[in-house]
Amino acid sequence: MSVSPRRLRTGALALATLAVISTTACTAGGSGGNANSGEAKTLTVNTSFVLKTLDPGRVYEATGLTAVHALYDTLLTFEGSDVGKPVPALAESYDASPDAKTFTFKLRSGVTFADGSPLTADDVVFSLNRLKNIKGSPAVTVSELSVSKTDDSTVVVTSATPNPNVPVVLAMPSTGVLNAEVARDNGAKDGADAAQGDTAQQYLDTNSIGSGPYVLKSYEPESQVVLEANPNYWGDKPQFERVVLRNMDVQTQKLTMQRAETAEISLDISGKLLDGLPESLQTSGVQDTVYFLFLNADPAVSAVTANPKFNQALRAAIDYQGIAALYGEGAAPGAGLVAPAFPGTLPASEASTRDVAKAKALLAEAGLTDPTVKFNYPAITYKGVDLGTVATKVQGDAAEAGITLELNPQPLTTFLDEMRSGKSPLGFTPQSLNYPVADSLINNMAPGQATALRSGWTVERADPAIVAAGEKVTETLDLAARATAMQEWQRLMNQSSPYIVLASNSSTVVATADLTGADYSAAGWQVDVAAVGLR
Amino acid sequence: MTMIAPDPVAPDPKVDRALTRRRWLGRLRGGSTGRPVWRQPIAVVALTILGGWLLVAILAPLVAPYDPLAQSADTYAAPSAAHWFGTDSLGRDIFSRVVYGARLSIPLALAIVSLALLVGGLLGLVAGYLGRLADEALMRLTDLVFAFPQIILAMAVTAAFGPNTRNAVLALVIVSWPVYARVIRSAVLSMRGDDYLNAARLLGVGPVRALRRDVLPNSIGPAIVLATLELGNAVLLLAALSFLGLGPRPPAAEWGSMVALGSQDLSMWWVSVFPGLAILTVVMAFNVLGDALRDRLDPRYAKGR
Repeated sequence: MSVSPRRLRTGALALATLAVISTTACTAGGSGGNANSGEAKTLTVNTSFVLKTLDPGRVYEATGLTAVHALYDTLLTFEGSDVGKPVPALAESYDASPDAKTFTFKLRSGVTFADGSPLTADDVVFSLNRLKNIKGSPAVTVSELSVSKTDDSTVVVTSATPNPNVPVVLAMPSTGVLNAEVARDNGAKDGADAAQGDTAQQYLDTNSIGSGPYVLKSYEPESQVVLEANPNYWGDKPQFERVVLRNMDVQTQKLTMQRAETAEISLDISGKLLDGLPESLQTSGVQDTVYFLFLNADPAVSAVTANPKFNQALRAAIDYQGIAALYGEGAAPGAGLVAPAFPGTLPASEASTRDVAKAKALLAEAGLTDPTVKFNYPAITYKGVDLGTVATKVQGDAAEAGITLELNPQPLTTFLDEMRSGKSPLGFTPQSLNYPVADSLINNMAPGQATALRSGWTVERADPAIVAAGEKVTETLDLAARATAMQEWQRLMNQSSPYIVLASNSSTVVATADLTGADYSAAGWQVDVAAVGLR
Repeated sequence: MTMIAPDPVAPDPKVDRALTRRRWLGRLRGGSTGRPVWRQPIAVVALTILGGWLLVAILAPLVAPYDPLAQSADTYAAPSAAHWFGTDSLGRDIFSRVVYGARLSIPLALAIVSLALLVGGLLGLVAGYLGRLADEALMRLTDLVFAFPQIILAMAVTAAFGPNTRNAVLALVIVSWPVYARVIRSAVLSMRGDDYLNAARLLGVGPVRALRRDVLPNSIGPAIVLATLELGNAVLLLAALSFLGLGPRPPAAEWGSMVALGSQDLSMWWVSVFPGLAILTVVMAFNVLGDALRDRLDPRYAKGR
């Protein structure tokens, strides 16, 4: 026999013991802490890396966005946690035409790149054209835009369709301005065929050629990214000489923050994980993620979920308050599809409420006795919350109303495949916006749109009032009126759409007490490291 | 001259039994030297623990104060008189869930081990008795399975078939049968050519009957010991699979998935510690019992005798 029983036994015991002590053993772990030694001031940012590139034209992942925002300036930007109104950055002012198609940006004078060369309108035009034409993941935000310059300090951006949110798009890190000359020397292209011809990514992953407050010192996508203050920065110099982004799993981040004393930030401790952190730490979060159920409206996929009465009954069966409690601090019961962080969200007072008696009555009315539905969800932990726990809670709530949900946890890719194929009778997913404008929800989730069709929600199966309300949002050009129209659309969506919004929760920046400006931003870059200072 | 055909000799059951020496059973009872297994203190403790768990599993509805699936608003309650082991993130009573968990873990472990013993035992018998090509083919197949770490192979199989209870059990049978095949085969090989087998053959006993009446009873002993040891391993592997989300579907009260749920928030220690302790006690008890059996049955491990 090749496997000795004694060895088997020892292994088995060790594992069993491990299962028991793992909960306590971890508190003894932790890493080396902060490397601050007085002179060169270093800010340490711990995050579980989602990092593929630091090329502004291609960056799409959270960690990359944090770094790129510090390396490259954009025409406009957002300050602190506010994503409602873009503020000047490279552009000192801008004008929008009344039809929301033409936007004229006046560039700030005296801005130089980190290498000392001046930043001109040509660099802006090159960078935006490159972003659009290399067709990387972020290009979708600018696909309808075209850019030209009228003189060395004026850039005109035009949109093919009326789009009052162009200024917001131009605050995104992917629209960061590169030094066009250096970029071209290293393989960057901005022409219509740039998708094939551009070879600058490798260079841009390890070198920064922007005008931002920091320059790239080192890039190790598995372990750390180091930024150093830009000596030629045109604006107020950041307080920290160095910023180190460290790759760290979330449990270790929590242990590290429990011992951290100075100049340390963690980006992934959210939800229930915030429980038990020392009082001395500061947190900043904005509710920017919504979690919703989607019911298939196609009777061929599920006669049960396609039944409008069942849809109503399930809405009434869910304990929204209880679900929000599962998400921990900084969560709220579901109101509408637009998360509270963004313009057009529904007020918290309109959060959905539970009514089990109503749910039962609706089921009886529809003649549904013990309806049973397969309930798909990705078996992942998202922003500190295990989606399986939430799904189990939904199952328990539904059971009280007489609805049987068969939990079907799936690996993420399987879940996504089944969702895309339109075969999921009932599913559960989180949703975050790629940039802080809720319009994309209409483009995706209104009846007949791409995401809606995955739930079998065609225009024919939808309430005509919802279709009209969606069109109203797109037609409204004034931003305040648009937000109001968005709210109206969500109220109608809450009555009969395939989407049941369960809750919203926040991403959170956890920082040591000695820091200022460690504000979470829903604009994509999570925290503006250049704005972080010492008290 | 007339040829007289020899009478076919009918196997005499008495002779057959006498020739068969159930060596392992004798040793289990203490043989001529030591004490029987059930007189060894450590084994008695293990037996008591296992007996206790079996009772708990059978009487679960009487033992558990709450419905193991019932959710309540009382989430993350620390252990108290109302909830002896506290409650989890959905306000479910952990004591009740641990009790009902015994209904999953223990029968499933028994199922895994019996199926693996059945499959592995049969293949081992065939390989050992037939020898040659059958032996070669089956042993290379066991090598193939041994080449992978058990848990990795089990994960791959479950992930491929789809995570649920049946597939987790199947996966664990697939990774654990070769041990039994090897053990039985070597036992069979060691008794090939023994006098009583030759005698039985001379008496006209066919291969199926010989395997069943003579070979199997004499080779099953070590496999039984191994199976007892493996029961603990099966509980553990099953818990590991469901820890990884590849075992019984939620909301089933399975110990491994309960440990996984608790590991999300380490400050609520009771959520994972109690199911972890349940795994620990069952695994240890099976191992101690298996050890005691082996000390008794395998002369190589006999201490001071």
